[in-house]
Amino acid sequence: MREDDLTQASDAQLVVAIGRWRQDALAEAYRRHGGAVFALACRVLTDRLLAEEVAQDVFVRLWHEPGRFDPQRGSLRSFLLAHAHNRAVDIVRSEEARRGRERRQHQERVRVSAGEDVEGDVWDLTVAEHVRDALGLLPPGERQAIEMAYFGGKTYRQVAASLGEPEGTVKSRIRSGLRRLRDNLADLVWEDSREP
Amino acid sequence: MNHDEISDLLGAYALDAVDPDEHAAVDTHLRECARCRAEVQDHRETAALLTPSSGDAPEHLWQRIAGSLEASPPGPRLAPVEGGTLERPRRVARAMVAALAAAAVIVAVLGVQVREQDQRIDQLQSALQDPLGPAFQAALTDPRSQVFELASDDGQLTLRGVIAADGTGYLAAAALPRLSRDRTYQLWGATGDQLISLGVLGPHPDIVTFPADPYTAFAVTEEDRAGVVASTNAPVVVGSTT
Repeated sequence: MREDDLTQASDAQLVVAIGRWRQDALAEAYRRHGGAVFALACRVLTDRLLAEEVAQDVFVRLWHEPGRFDPQRGSLRSFLLAHAHNRAVDIVRSEEARRGRERRQHQERVRVSAGEDVEGDVWDLTVAEHVRDALGLLPPGERQAIEMAYFGGKTYRQVAASLGEPEGTVKSRIRSGLRRLRDNLADLVWEDSREP
Repeated sequence: MNHDEISDLLGAYALDAVDPDEHAAVDTHLRECARCRAEVQDHRETAALLTPSSGDAPEHLWQRIAGSLEASPPGPRLAPVEGGTLERPRRVARAMVAALAAAAVIVAVLGVQVREQDQRIDQLQSALQDPLGPAFQAALTDPRSQVFELASDDGQLTLRGVIAADGTGYLAAAALPRLSRDRTYQLWGATGDQLISLGVLGPHPDIVTFPADPYTAFAVTEEDRAGVVASTNAPVVVGSTT
């Protein structure tokens, strides 16, 4: 693959080029997915500096271990976001973040009881319209459980505790909510996650 | 936990919203259960859509990432592979040298076939399902490329490979019999009397790429899941480019 072809390359081809230590291929992967990785880390951590560390970790790991990505199993985007989410959640749950987490949990309880989520509203504006619509179609309990777990970095037990719901209910709502979302977005998931 | 209890956790697991002991239990189960693996992947694809794709990646952050890469020593490696670990060059096991020498004979017999490039394009249709397929095909049809074949002892199993002009090797490995998940195929390159691990291919590889320079002979062995530093197993297929 020639240098100037990288912008036309599929994600899978980019990862192959990264496997050959081509830094321009990593740069292209960052150009495509770095914004989403950073945004998700920011949303979970509510701290830009920590989010930068997470994003750096994600792309440096892709550089050193491109073989961890298997194009047969899913998209590069979901692979990178899953890694970013996992790292961000680790940080959220670590002892060092305990203080900030307690503060955020408190703020979130306030927001939840007030029935609005200012940060989420801003976020929602930048999420694709059809995804927003699909989210809006979810039963409120499912949507809330997914958002608190995914963006709040909480375990389903923590979500259950802060909502005063049974743990099993929250666990089920996360799974059924994700399935419902997927079904609503089925065609879209295919278009967005698969390479042409 | 039984299958149903694990299944109930898959949504929360995909969102990193389970406790560490539950995480470990799901991990163990996923190694065995393809259906649950597929469900987790589905959930992750769905969750990924909740993150906006329009946000720009900060330029200063790229500078920071690029800056941190300069210290990384470039070297040959295989990508993409499943759980691949790259081994440092090791002295070749004697059994393998003998096997490769024997292979050279087989290759000489098959040599006529190997050079018939035109006939093999249609045999690559299955390989083209792979994302690497187009790159493989491009390398195959480039006159500057070097095409080779790896064959089993009895000649029943043959794999086609090509070394592109830039030194990237491709091997269409889909014909290898599928292994259990605790086993893997491993690719070796020979130069002189050294046999060097080019990568761990996983139990059911399709098309793999590898750094071909400076190797002229290749072999694939079957090993335990993590691969080995030096193999004592007889190769499944062997062949050379000369």
